[in-house]
Amino acid sequence: MKRLWILPLTVAMAQAAPEAAIPESQRAFLKQYCTGCHNEEKQKGKVRLDDLPLHIADVSTADRWQKVLAVLNSGEMPPEDEKQPLPAEKLALLEVLSRQMVVARKTLADTGRPAPIRRLNRREYVHTIRELLGVEVDPITLPADDDNGSFDTVGSNLFFSSDQLERYLELGRAALDSALATGAAPKQRIKRIEPEIEANLRHQQRLQPALEKKDRLDRWKASGGRPAPEFGFDDAGVAIRVGMLLSTELPRVQSYLADPFNASGVMLQNAQWWPQTIDTIGLPPGHYRLRVRLGFDPNMSPRERIIEYGYPGEFGWPAEMKLLGWRAVTGTFDAPEVLEIPIEIPKGGPRFFGIREKRPNNTEFTSLESQRRRQIKPDDDYLRTLWIDWLEWEGPVTDQWPPRSHSLALAGVDVGNRPGEAEAREVITQFARRAFRGQPVAPSYVDRLMVHFNEKRKSEPFLEAIKTPLSIVLASPSFLYLAMGDEAGNAPTHGKRPPLSEVELANRLSYFLWSGPPDDHLLSLALQERLRQPGVLAAEVNRMLAHERFRNFLSGFTHQWLHMVRLDFFRFNARLFPRFDDTVKHSARQEVYETLRYILEKDLPLQTLLKSDFVVIDRPLADYYGLTGVPPEGFHKVEVPKEMPRGGLLGMAAILAMGSDGNRSSPVERGAWVLRKLLHNPPPPAPANIPQLSRFSGELMPARKLMLAHQEQPQCAHCHRNIDPIGYGLERFDASGSWREEELTEITKLNRVVKTKTFPIDTAGTLPDGTRFQDFFGLREAVAAQKAAFTRGLTENLFEYALGRPCGFTDQERIDAMIQQSEMKGSTLRSLLLALVESSAFQSR
Amino acid sequence: MNPSLTRRHFLRSSSSCIALPFLASLGFRRFASAAPLPSRPKRIIFIGFGWGVTYESWYPNPKQTGADWSLTEGLKPLERHKSLITLVQNCYHKHSQDGHSGSTFWLTGANRYGVPGKSFANTISVDQVAGEHLGAETRFETLTLSGPGDGHGPGLSLAWNRQGKPIAGQPSPAAAFHALFSNDKTPPDARRAALRARQSVLDTVLEDARSLSRRLSKEDGEKLAEYFESVRDIETRLGKEDRWIDAPKQQAPTALHQPGESMNGEAEVRTMYDLMVAALQTDSTRVITYRQPNQRLIDGLGIKLDGHSISHYDPKGDRMEASQARDRGMSNLLAHLIDKLKATKEPDGSTLFDHTCVVFGSNLRRAHDLDNCPTILTGGGAGIKLGQHLVMSDPKTPLCNVWLTLLDGLGVPAKSFGDSTGILDTLKA
Repeated sequence: MKRLWILPLTVAMAQAAPEAAIPESQRAFLKQYCTGCHNEEKQKGKVRLDDLPLHIADVSTADRWQKVLAVLNSGEMPPEDEKQPLPAEKLALLEVLSRQMVVARKTLADTGRPAPIRRLNRREYVHTIRELLGVEVDPITLPADDDNGSFDTVGSNLFFSSDQLERYLELGRAALDSALATGAAPKQRIKRIEPEIEANLRHQQRLQPALEKKDRLDRWKASGGRPAPEFGFDDAGVAIRVGMLLSTELPRVQSYLADPFNASGVMLQNAQWWPQTIDTIGLPPGHYRLRVRLGFDPNMSPRERIIEYGYPGEFGWPAEMKLLGWRAVTGTFDAPEVLEIPIEIPKGGPRFFGIREKRPNNTEFTSLESQRRRQIKPDDDYLRTLWIDWLEWEGPVTDQWPPRSHSLALAGVDVGNRPGEAEAREVITQFARRAFRGQPVAPSYVDRLMVHFNEKRKSEPFLEAIKTPLSIVLASPSFLYLAMGDEAGNAPTHGKRPPLSEVELANRLSYFLWSGPPDDHLLSLALQERLRQPGVLAAEVNRMLAHERFRNFLSGFTHQWLHMVRLDFFRFNARLFPRFDDTVKHSARQEVYETLRYILEKDLPLQTLLKSDFVVIDRPLADYYGLTGVPPEGFHKVEVPKEMPRGGLLGMAAILAMGSDGNRSSPVERGAWVLRKLLHNPPPPAPANIPQLSRFSGELMPARKLMLAHQEQPQCAHCHRNIDPIGYGLERFDASGSWREEELTEITKLNRVVKTKTFPIDTAGTLPDGTRFQDFFGLREAVAAQKAAFTRGLTENLFEYALGRPCGFTDQERIDAMIQQSEMKGSTLRSLLLALVESSAFQSR
Repeated sequence: MNPSLTRRHFLRSSSSCIALPFLASLGFRRFASAAPLPSRPKRIIFIGFGWGVTYESWYPNPKQTGADWSLTEGLKPLERHKSLITLVQNCYHKHSQDGHSGSTFWLTGANRYGVPGKSFANTISVDQVAGEHLGAETRFETLTLSGPGDGHGPGLSLAWNRQGKPIAGQPSPAAAFHALFSNDKTPPDARRAALRARQSVLDTVLEDARSLSRRLSKEDGEKLAEYFESVRDIETRLGKEDRWIDAPKQQAPTALHQPGESMNGEAEVRTMYDLMVAALQTDSTRVITYRQPNQRLIDGLGIKLDGHSISHYDPKGDRMEASQARDRGMSNLLAHLIDKLKATKEPDGSTLFDHTCVVFGSNLRRAHDLDNCPTILTGGGAGIKLGQHLVMSDPKTPLCNVWLTLLDGLGVPAKSFGDSTGILDTLKA
């Protein structure tokens, strides 16, 4: 049955837009179960199906079939008292119908016409302002643009609202405020805090009342049963509770005050709740160096000696920090080191900054605490881990004055000491030219901008008055839109995709590989019309791939391609997965990008992403995977032992953790992800109104057995029989992507575990084409064998991201050609990117 | 060593100072509207909570209909208002077939695939239709409030304009307060000059837009039209601001303090409700939508699970408990809103509640279920029969019929809306 529908699809790929169609053979199903009531004469529920075309060629036919799919899925039709289809019959129709609906929607949306112009998305806006002005803007007030199910470069989803236009005016103004410098360079200074002053005071304040309570308690105990209220306790129960609290509190406070290290610093104990903070009050925004003198307990293993830094959480909930980074620490209590961390203090940013030892980023980290207690010092509540002597800010650090942003904002124009109207016009013209990325700047537009300048200049100094016209430039459409215009004013012929001009090509290339504007080199090649000369484009691509700005592609494209937003959907249960903290999570996300960078730099085949004998990781992740030999800074290639289940996307913690809900692994999510992202065989979208399966709820069951419920009803089985068996192969990884021997299940009530049970794990499964595998290694092998499907999927994704429009069926020949061209150069990411950039599709509208 | 703030301390300081507004003062009456109205204006509030409810414990027993029905566990906090709320069952949007589309079509009922050649299309939302009719006399035609989009699907708020483009909302109580009540201290002349300067900024960007559009194809022109539209929108707003320049913004009701920048999710929603009441009370607008935050509210209610998992609860265990706790929390907030509307006196002695319709619902029932959309109606603004449990006999009654019935009750002359098939007489008082 499966082959029946796959076949027409494959054949169709070579042709122009195929029509979605239900095979003639399914007519029998409609005849037998539907058209008895839904025919010309008897249009029950005003629905007629006898005249429903099998070819889905227009929106209304698609809507009618969508309805059929919906009532079959919900089990509403055929009605209970009518003859019911056999499960196999229903399954067959559902499978082909849900697939063909996807084809139909895609075909009906495929106009084959040029993608319209689009505005910069939020990421690109930030990168563009950075290149233009050398400053960072906080785009929080702009729409995120990344939640519409496709890439944030797809123009049809990028709306524009009046509210947004006002935000652009404000943000542009704010950017110019930070870019233009007036007056002398800010004085660099040092603000140091000695944290023990406050900490010791606080402990002293806790000691006195505790001693006083202890005294009363002791007297009550010695009183021979006199009533507790006589000693200031509400009743005996309260007194006993106070006693229990004191028995841990008092020794901790006393130990703290007795610890000689606390005379000159602060001991952070036992992964404690609060980070050590330093405020930024009174410091002007800018670049700073944060220095901290600190050391760890030398008894802790080096892998534990890591600090995290960032902003403490809101609502007086400092335990949940917004992490900015981590550092491995070599200093110890006796031989502390001074760490130096560059930090940008933004305008209006948070006023506190925190440092703590690496640990789960929420308040539920008790497992780590008790683990420590067992490991380091059994019977003592005062567990010393991290000692901080002092912290200081040095800054603002300026390497030149006025800063680079100042001359960028003035577009490199030397305005001299007494700038006037001529200088203003020059600045505005040059700035607009840079902002418009090679597109023409109309003189009438500059005239209008000059009116704004002159108006402001009446009451404001030059550097202030110039901000108004410049901020208007940053809200003008030639800046905000990636315009693909024909300068001669020739409207492209309807239905054709005319070639891009060189300037347009430079912009498309730059926004593809850098998510930002072309640099001077690229733009000048385009303005000289040299980009299409032999070898020039390829050389530019190679230059851009090696450039630091390429990281915007690695994160921007990869994150969306692999749907990594899922990594942020869930909170990872810190009780079950104390090691999967935010630092590891961040490194895990980074691993995906860095692996892509590595295979690009080494020009390795794309297949390496599916299976490799190495990983590209940093130190926290090495610790997480149980690998050693990684330098303390940055990501590095590490060989993976043969028996270790890492190497390739399927073994990456980020990918595996995405396939969970933060508590349990999900064979469904993982299986669907593999189908979507690796096998280029996406399951239809999650249907609405499916009867919920809850037969097993409240029972402890292995995930695999729960999944079997999906096989019971055709409306579930038709998708899940392809999805779930792939996920089984990854079941040896828990929800946080760690290897496990058995599956732990638990029932919790009111956040407390009431019952647990472990199960052995069966990892045997199949791919949709019938390939069987026994375990992770077999699955990885089977997926790696499907490199053609993987390459096609990746190519289509790159195409959509680069061109800002969906890859339609009419584009399939172009995709084929790109893949073939890349195959001649080893099927590497570099060769594929080059093939895409050199394709006629990329170089035309 | 660590900031001495505690969570509790913060909550206390951010929300507790907002008490009932007191506004039926002389000054208020003078500025309430351009001219004294013969009767109090009709208003409407739409609150969309996105992620649905607990099916088993929120919906009343479908056999108990009319005025004789029992509140369920999820609705318990609304006990004191039972005779004032009407719960409607069996309505849905026939075009909503994607379990992940959230609130995108809740107030529009549109067919995402309705426009050939496009993979996404939407149509005007019911609040905007209402605003076109009810908003002429107020400073803000409609007020759009919108928390983060998590779980709400594509869109910037619940509101979509005539072109089916998303409308952005005020993202926080602080922003909403500012828009509604912050008065510019500058004299009217200076503000007129500022308005002219803003108009002149628009003229300049239009200059660039025009020269750009000359270089573009027809399709590009359609896309750039969004830019022109947004300029026009601002111009309309500036025009309105200009007309209102001599009428200072309403004073915020005395007890309404300026909200802080960041607050706990529950306090945030409660404050937004208070601001909605204040906005209606001061007649700053008559039509409000609020896309309620999902995760922030769940966090704020002290629930330790994420909203997505909660929505996919299974009928035993922690997720369902969390889902029910969320339901109770939401009902509590709605009860608070009703309290406030009832406690707010109109100049003629009636209450704001008597002239305001509140719609409280979602396109999603739970998980991926898009039928029998949860819908609560309350208040007297749209002539709805209150205290009812109405189970439509057709389980596929268009939700747009409810919207049409509300428009009719508000006096908006609409013949149809979305996929409506007619007015629901059973809803009418």
